[in-house]
Amino acid sequence: MKQPAMLSAKAFEASEAPIKAFGEALLEAGKANPDIVVVSTDSSSGSGLSPFKAAFPERHIEFGIMEQGAVGYCAGMAAVGKIPFYAAIAPFVSARPFEMVKDDLGYMRQNVKVIGRCGGLTYSQLGPTHHSIDDFALMRTIPGLLVLNPGDPVSIRKATLALAKHSGPSYMRIGSPNMPVLYDEDLPFEIGKGILVREGHDVTLIGTGTVLCQAVKAAQLLDRKGISARVIDIHSIKPLDEDMILKAAGETGRIVTVEEHFLNGGLGSAIAQFLSQTRPTPVKMLGIDDRFASNGPYEGLLGQHGLLAEQIAASSIEFLKKKF
Amino acid sequence: MPLSKKEELKLKFKALALRENVLRMVKAAGTGHMGGALSAADIVAVLYYKFMKLDPQNPGLADRDRFVLSAGHKCLILYAALAEKGYFPKEIMDSYGELDSHIPGHPSMDKLPGVEANTGSLGHGLSIAAGMAMGLKLSASPARVYTLMGDGELAEGSNWEAAAAASHHKLDNLTAIVDKNGLQIGGPSDSIMNYEPLQDRWASFGWSVRRIDGHDYPTIVQTLESLPFEKGKPSLIIADTVKSKGFPFAEGKAAYHYWKATKEELQLADEALAAARAGLEKALAEAQVKGGL
Ligand SMILES: Cc1ncc(C[n+]2csc(CCOP(=O)(O)OP(=O)(O)O)c2C)c(N)n1
Repeated sequence: MKQPAMLSAKAFEASEAPIKAFGEALLEAGKANPDIVVVSTDSSSGSGLSPFKAAFPERHIEFGIMEQGAVGYCAGMAAVGKIPFYAAIAPFVSARPFEMVKDDLGYMRQNVKVIGRCGGLTYSQLGPTHHSIDDFALMRTIPGLLVLNPGDPVSIRKATLALAKHSGPSYMRIGSPNMPVLYDEDLPFEIGKGILVREGHDVTLIGTGTVLCQAVKAAQLLDRKGISARVIDIHSIKPLDEDMILKAAGETGRIVTVEEHFLNGGLGSAIAQFLSQTRPTPVKMLGIDDRFASNGPYEGLLGQHGLLAEQIAASSIEFLKKKF
Repeated sequence: MPLSKKEELKLKFKALALRENVLRMVKAAGTGHMGGALSAADIVAVLYYKFMKLDPQNPGLADRDRFVLSAGHKCLILYAALAEKGYFPKEIMDSYGELDSHIPGHPSMDKLPGVEANTGSLGHGLSIAAGMAMGLKLSASPARVYTLMGDGELAEGSNWEAAAAASHHKLDNLTAIVDKNGLQIGGPSDSIMNYEPLQDRWASFGWSVRRIDGHDYPTIVQTLESLPFEKGKPSLIIADTVKSKGFPFAEGKAAYHYWKATKEELQLADEALAAARAGLEKALAEAQVKGGL
């Protein structure tokens, strides 16, 4: 069965702030379900919670700067039937309260949605304390916890609504600067299912989140070199769409993964782990190697780690030349 | 010893230079965590220019006093002081915001001499500072350790773990300063998460506490002169301050926590600092300080 490719004919024409897309969808979810509450730790507005707060002030709870305790409060509220969405700066809701997420949400299987915003390198100038390039690795280890990383404003909206319907502990990362719109509003979206962004048969680029757009542009650059690159959007890092990945491995033979995350433990790592045991396939992993990132403009940091479209295209060409 | 007029003016000129440095860096990047940097400017100036034993030529000096900026987002005031002290060439200030700048949005000891800890995530500094105080005590060092925290930062539970352990271990070479400007990102700190009565809370954790006006030089000096407030106890200074102090258009306004500076605001800031300098020059002339500063 052939799947349609989802890249919009109008891709890259518009762009939108990820927290705006998230905040609007959260309001919509809150209107539909009165049990949804939102939790802030001194970053309500910056985390996109303002529309929800304005509509439902009594369901917006501010804790001040106490991320670890806030996760426990969320677990407690969930245990008595509320559905907390807790949003703040990504490292402070993932690495900082990791054990609370693991025990109080994961092990206790509580229906809490943790949203890390300004994730990846997007808080670029603020340095390594504010970068979040280890969150997939951390969160992937927690049994039963969803890990989402949507790659455009349309899919952020859909992911937020899907999270509201899903019952169980979840983590979603979103970025900070405006993201190009890649999809049409009628995009089918399902947790655990990848999105075929564009067809191709020489190689598959698997992108996620804020650098999905770079992978798409890289594929367009490869076109001009006569290389046909398939692009898959893995917005659901866990559970992983194994069928789609397996199919791509079979049909294109080589996989390039593109993520704003340490190579240790991220999406590429998850894909290599899966493929090595099912259908050993050469995988080129693009991401951040074993060092702390620097500070400065966002694109500058992406460039230092080979995550800009031209660099992804160049790495892919090199990779395709390699004999295995 | 009461603070002489001459010394007070000298310190005020230094604090003004720090504020000028902060503005210089914001101009380079167009943005920066200005509000909480300026509320702490007077205390930081007094610490660096009157109390801390430091050698900018030898930043690794074993018995130097340590300053741990727990509220790492206030880094502009730390950079301002280190630049003024000569830890690094002042031109580096113009690289704020650039790729690989030595002065990132939060301080990094890998990038700059004089930075004692890589802070930025709130609620780490007190434990690190207390650990330094403990280690220095074990080495019988005379050095003192200072840490500067925000009042919003106090909601991090890790601070209270550190607070209990510091008094338990009798770290009287440790001084924590809470820059109580009353604001955090979302608005007034006590409306976001109330930590009053702050003095009593710290005292109940075994600290010796004083509450001061964080912009009043004789008081700041007198307070720091009497450290440790009690032998065998860590000292806590609650400094009542004004966020964005020195930039009247921004004073006491939460919106200037992270300043995205407009041209008009930069103009106002320039004018405010020029007026402050003129005021100090006038005070200096009137005081007829012998031999100048
Ligand atoms: C662990 C952590 N959580 C959140 C933040 C984001 N943050 C940076 S500054 C700030 C507010 C700090 O307020 P306060 O301590 O009162 O500092 P001041 O007002 O003096 O700048 C917040 C929430 C952070 N840096 N670290």
